[in-house]
Amino acid sequence: MSRQTGAVLEGARRRDFTQVVAERGVIVCTGPGGVGKTTAAAALAIAAARRGRRTLVLTIDPARRLAQSLGLRELGDEPHPVAGVDGLDAMMLDMKRTFDAVIDRHAPDPRRAERIKTNRFYTQLSDSLAGTQEYMAMEKLYELHASGGYDCLVVDTPPTRSALDFLDAPKRLTDFLEGRFLKLFLSPGMSAGRAIGRVAALSSGLFLKVASRVTGADLLEDLGEFFASFEDMYEGFKYRAQAVYRLLGSHTCAFVVVTSPETPALREARYFLQRLAQDGMPTAGLVVNRTTPALPAALSGLDGKSVPAAVSRLNEGGPEQRAAGALLRLAVDRASVHRRERQAIAAALHGVDPKALVEVPLMATDIHDVAGLEELGAYLVRA
Amino acid sequence: MDIGSLLDARLLIVTGKGGVGKSTVAAALAVAAARMGRKTCLVEVEGRQAFSRLFETAPWDFTEREFRPGLWGLSIDPDASLAEYLEMFYGGRRLSQLVVSSTAVEFATAAAPGIKDVLLVGKVKEMERRRDVDGRLHYDLIIVDAPPTGRIVRFLRAPEAATELVGVGPIRSQAQQVVDLLLNGQRTQVLLVTLLEEMPVAETVDAVAALRELGVNVGPLFVNRVLQERFDEQSRKALADDLEPAELTALLAEADLDLGDLGLEAASALRDLGMAHLRRLELQQQMREVIERELDLPTIELPYVYGAELGSEAVTMLATEFAQVMT
Repeated sequence: MSRQTGAVLEGARRRDFTQVVAERGVIVCTGPGGVGKTTAAAALAIAAARRGRRTLVLTIDPARRLAQSLGLRELGDEPHPVAGVDGLDAMMLDMKRTFDAVIDRHAPDPRRAERIKTNRFYTQLSDSLAGTQEYMAMEKLYELHASGGYDCLVVDTPPTRSALDFLDAPKRLTDFLEGRFLKLFLSPGMSAGRAIGRVAALSSGLFLKVASRVTGADLLEDLGEFFASFEDMYEGFKYRAQAVYRLLGSHTCAFVVVTSPETPALREARYFLQRLAQDGMPTAGLVVNRTTPALPAALSGLDGKSVPAAVSRLNEGGPEQRAAGALLRLAVDRASVHRRERQAIAAALHGVDPKALVEVPLMATDIHDVAGLEELGAYLVRA
Repeated sequence: MDIGSLLDARLLIVTGKGGVGKSTVAAALAVAAARMGRKTCLVEVEGRQAFSRLFETAPWDFTEREFRPGLWGLSIDPDASLAEYLEMFYGGRRLSQLVVSSTAVEFATAAAPGIKDVLLVGKVKEMERRRDVDGRLHYDLIIVDAPPTGRIVRFLRAPEAATELVGVGPIRSQAQQVVDLLLNGQRTQVLLVTLLEEMPVAETVDAVAALRELGVNVGPLFVNRVLQERFDEQSRKALADDLEPAELTALLAEADLDLGDLGLEAASALRDLGMAHLRRLELQQQMREVIERELDLPTIELPYVYGAELGSEAVTMLATEFAQVMT
């Protein structure tokens, strides 16, 4: 580790998320899958609510883990007050309903909206078009923010493989909808809108010839209509997508990257931090969950050399001796894991400034209630 | 079901909640299978380059390469898979290259739901069916590092969805063959990886139910990163009952280990470490019981390897463990 990285990390370790929960209007928790994004989001939301701010935590996680960690049996798609935390609501994103609302808002008339919503591709689009879920999450976030009902919105992001898909999602969706390829498909030289339903007229394209041989013609007809129906909505989508992107890039917003100390997760976290910086997004810090803390100061004198001999002597003895031997081994292993984790973190953050770096030790039990979330929150917000 | 028969399958699909180490398990299984003389291919479908890092090879792509004796690997991406598919049907590189333009796959993805997944699984099916000139099957075993449990059902259901959506034509028959492969319990097993922690276990229980509903054969459950017990029954009891810091300090001194001025404080810190460890072991045990109660699946426990997370050491060690349970 270079001296410079070391200094940056030491500075970052002294900071936390106190200001973020006290001031920011939107907090986005992002990071690789399975590292505790949802619990981090819930813990930050509780901290914001405890400061007297009207707070909503929004999850898009289909596994309903937030519900689990908030001690709720179910999370509806309407804000739902969290028992035991004044001023905190929780809700889960309902993809289908959000998408329906987007169509209703952008479609030129209800008849057109209805036609889109009954198209057989529509219902599956959310699953198949990369980034749709992320787009809808940001859409909902924007809507909630614009409605002004909350002082602070905390959201987690889906564990997408390509890390920050949600940043690209609005752009991807609009690029896709107005894409060159799509126009080629809809018909050469004709604007998409005028092509509604006239698939026969369009099938002169080389691609269409291939495509209809591969898939059958009726499929293409539905598809043509589907995309044509979208044409009137391009502008609306694009405008909205830009507004979402502006909100995310403003200082109302804060990004918290969450990871675990395993190398693959750290590698992704590094990419997230770099990507956020590159897009000029306001990064608030990095949370490394499930870390192995350093041994307590009283044990820092345990040295690796004298322990093995003591352990073998103790292992010859009675139950108490063997217990003492096992404790020594445990302590030495723990210290070594801690050192390796620190090295991995430093290596992953080489040349990257995480702003704040909070290492949360692996809890003795899983978090599944407000008390557990507050325990986690005490690491994220120390003041 | 018998764990030993695991390697009799033709296709193993490995999944698990994010962060549980499914890639490590997939890699270790592949190493173990190759060591046991099976011509094996390890497949990556999410383009994360986890295996090229793990095995310290050049980045993986659509070309199958033998990176260890008897062990091949490739990374399937939908673009390359689509190009290959079109070439197969329509010959002519020019056409397939035209179609596989920058937005073509994006288009295809939206055009037929899940077609990306169909293309990925379709390539796996092609590999599974491939025969050498002498008529023998090219690979003995194919191991896929599949998407995580949150997406696995959608991934495996994609071919069936394609058959429902596309009535006729080559895509339909292709997709049907893929469905046949996935639902054939003799040829295909889906393996889940979990940790002995609440959320991964809860997700595993849900995933097993959904996978069984889909009709796939769910193979043994791999329980990763199991903490070592470290205490035998008597010493655990000694610790849990009343091992006072003063007594512990004395025991350590007898074994020539001097904790220095901080003796008592150090001993009580040691004791706390031990008690926290026992609590985690207890949680592990509870999770084992949940798995036993909720899932009718044999389990294979894999020890936590200190600091060797997703390293080739861990893979080699796990492969050795597998070789023991599978023979």
